[in-house]
Amino acid sequence: MKWLLKVIDAARPTFEEGGKLRILNPVFGALEHFFFAPSTRTIGAPHVRDPLDLKRVMSMVIISVVPCVLAAFYLFGLRFLAMIIVTYAAGLTVEAIFAIVRKEGINEGFFVTGFLFPLILPPNLPLWMVALGVAFGVFIAKELFGGTGRNIFNPALVGRCFLSLGFPKVMSASWAQPGHGLVGNMLTWNVDTLTSATPLAAAKQGEITSFVHMFLGNISGSAGETSAFLIILGGVFLLFTRVANWRSVASILGSFAILAGVLMARGEMSEPMPTIFGSVLWHVFAGGLLFGAFFMATDPVTGPTTNAGKWFYGIIIGSTTVLIRNFTGYVEGVTFAILLGNIVAPILDEIVIGVRIRRLRREG
Amino acid sequence: MNHFFGEAKKVKFRGGYNILLKGRPDDTVKVMPEPKVLYLPLRSERFKFSEILVKEAERVNGGDALAKDPDNYDVPLLAPRSGTVRLKAAANHIVLENVARLDERADIAEEEMSHIAREMGAGGIKRYKLLSLGAWQFFYDAFTRALPDPLGTPQAVIVSTLSLEPFVTRGDVLLQKRLLNFTRGLEHLQSLLEYQPIYLAMPDIDSEFANLIRSHIRGYAWAKMLEVPLIYPYDNFEILARRLGLRRDKGPIWCVRTEGVLAVDRALTLTKPCTVKIVSVGGIGVHSPTHLKVVPGYPIEKIIEEYVFEPAARVIDGGILTGRAFTAETLGIGVECRGITVLPELKEREFLGFIRPGWDRSSYSDCFLSSLRKRFAERYTTGVRGELRPCIACNFCEEVCPAGIMPYLIHKYLYADLIEEAEQARVDLCVECGLCSYVCPSKINLGKQLIETKALIEKEKQEIRQEQLRQEEARKQSEEKTE
Repeated sequence: MKWLLKVIDAARPTFEEGGKLRILNPVFGALEHFFFAPSTRTIGAPHVRDPLDLKRVMSMVIISVVPCVLAAFYLFGLRFLAMIIVTYAAGLTVEAIFAIVRKEGINEGFFVTGFLFPLILPPNLPLWMVALGVAFGVFIAKELFGGTGRNIFNPALVGRCFLSLGFPKVMSASWAQPGHGLVGNMLTWNVDTLTSATPLAAAKQGEITSFVHMFLGNISGSAGETSAFLIILGGVFLLFTRVANWRSVASILGSFAILAGVLMARGEMSEPMPTIFGSVLWHVFAGGLLFGAFFMATDPVTGPTTNAGKWFYGIIIGSTTVLIRNFTGYVEGVTFAILLGNIVAPILDEIVIGVRIRRLRREG
Repeated sequence: MNHFFGEAKKVKFRGGYNILLKGRPDDTVKVMPEPKVLYLPLRSERFKFSEILVKEAERVNGGDALAKDPDNYDVPLLAPRSGTVRLKAAANHIVLENVARLDERADIAEEEMSHIAREMGAGGIKRYKLLSLGAWQFFYDAFTRALPDPLGTPQAVIVSTLSLEPFVTRGDVLLQKRLLNFTRGLEHLQSLLEYQPIYLAMPDIDSEFANLIRSHIRGYAWAKMLEVPLIYPYDNFEILARRLGLRRDKGPIWCVRTEGVLAVDRALTLTKPCTVKIVSVGGIGVHSPTHLKVVPGYPIEKIIEEYVFEPAARVIDGGILTGRAFTAETLGIGVECRGITVLPELKEREFLGFIRPGWDRSSYSDCFLSSLRKRFAERYTTGVRGELRPCIACNFCEEVCPAGIMPYLIHKYLYADLIEEAEQARVDLCVECGLCSYVCPSKINLGKQLIETKALIEKEKQEIRQEQLRQEEARKQSEEKTE
């Protein structure tokens, strides 16, 4: 790949200070560093560094959602691929403009958001709404707070929240009929819109979706949230690589299951399955809970940093989801629960850090 | 009652991580050929030998003091061999020409000794010998890392036979043929103390050699054995002191490694100067990583010529985590040098490095295929291996920190210019091991930031102290005037 490096080296002066296209330097830098690792060397101690960098971390998240992306493509057709492309185009434009204005490099963070965002949207959503949603999410939730690493809220969730508050009718009427058979919907552009909605919405009307279908994924729902099996597969990979912390996942799912179980045992919550245990598992698999727990709430930037904080963070998200699903007009509450968790995360950190600093004060 | 009789004391550690670098020095010691010229650096990590005691062209014997450091209890820079002094031949060095091995000064002159005996008593003589024969320079204070006062009384002594950083001289290599000298050195150390304990930090491994040392030590009631897991940086004196529950405000803690104990033995048993060093030479680009027997001032050039084949390599004084790269200005091995580590400079930029499976790169994280494989020694370079990014709060730095502080938090405080909060977060507990910088996926040099903040806070405190002194003096003067 020496020739490519030569091309890049030859093009560099055009994008540097004094060159014609210096305004596009962040874009050039992002491309250059996509292909070639930087040539920076350590100065002074420590003289070596770990091979892990942010690009690798973000690639791990992308690899972990690949099964969900392929499933969404199979179930909901070519439009889903278009949604990814639109997300990337709109989001990267906002990202690049900010990088140019701030004279900083383009960060890797968006590449993950760009994959996650279409996965949490109804698959038949108009493409302009997809673009609007991601632009809003990146602009308001990330760039205004200072970019990757400084955002309080998960940009993908803010984008989705914005869409579901701004266009509630379209959002709840854009579900699609999942494909089946050998090719599924992979060759179809216009997938039939489904009016009877997701398993959770159907359950409120007393129609219970089969547990096996929810496990495999041929049900209606947001593009990436339908197959519990593939989400767990990707999620376990993410836990294994330690990019996602197991504490938040365990406490979200644990607190959700416990609270749902208690409510069902007391008769406050409907039981879609004959046993309480089966019903709890049904609720865990329904809607976006698994996707949110594995891929959204584990975002290290918007979650708490401290390990103790992560436990409480998970409990807040898990129990809020149960409460929203059961006691409000909304059928689904994961988005709101995680955003609430994002708000609380810095406070949790502050409390935990306060305790730790008090303990540190006693050290010799 | 048991632990008073040399039983192992259990302590808890946290954090830490071993970086497995290729080119670990083997357990042999090679003797380098006698040099013709010696270049003795006037500066080392802790010392600045600013007071020159010899004249140009003066003929000195081995063991003569060439210079001393007035800020560090006059610790001397000894001539390792006899030779002719050249003061101006190289900047910041004393050069010895026509070096010969003969006529080593055997003893401190009788007359001098009786004078000291009158001044300081018998215990004082021992301490004087340690200082003037070059053994005292191996002593550290656990919390300040400075040279402790040779006439002071410590609250405890920590002796460590471990060296866990890649790569510095291995304790077991030093001990191999000198186990008796080591135990005799410990006895000498004990004779300087009254009732204070000596903690002996040993690897928690079960080898024949380790058992041999254990059985030797078991007889000493005053030596408490401390079994330490072989994870960097558990051999750090400050970590050991803190894990033992020793406190900063209860007085100095003398810390000394294997080479220091051997030097104590040589100075107090034979009354001979400690001028021979065993220095490791290891890392990538070294022919056969090993240990070298050299004297301070030995030309670095000669060692590089003989052992290093990598032309574009960084040669580091010490290990890869805390060592300093030798500058072109430094010509000889310093008195405090413990190892020479060679690390190739980054040359080629890697194509699509971040999506490679990574079977051959070991990482603290589990994001590479290598996490499915047993730990292995890797060919590191000086590459930063990624771009500088904002902190993403991955918490790796806190996990790996052996001191139990939160580097990411202090980094955030510094970003917001909150020095006082950084002080509250106990940045002063940092032991400067460098692991937080190593693991950071955003490539933030956290270690450097922590060290700089520590220095800044220390400086501010000193300024406040001096200001108070000045005010007090001014008040006294004005009081005197009114009287």
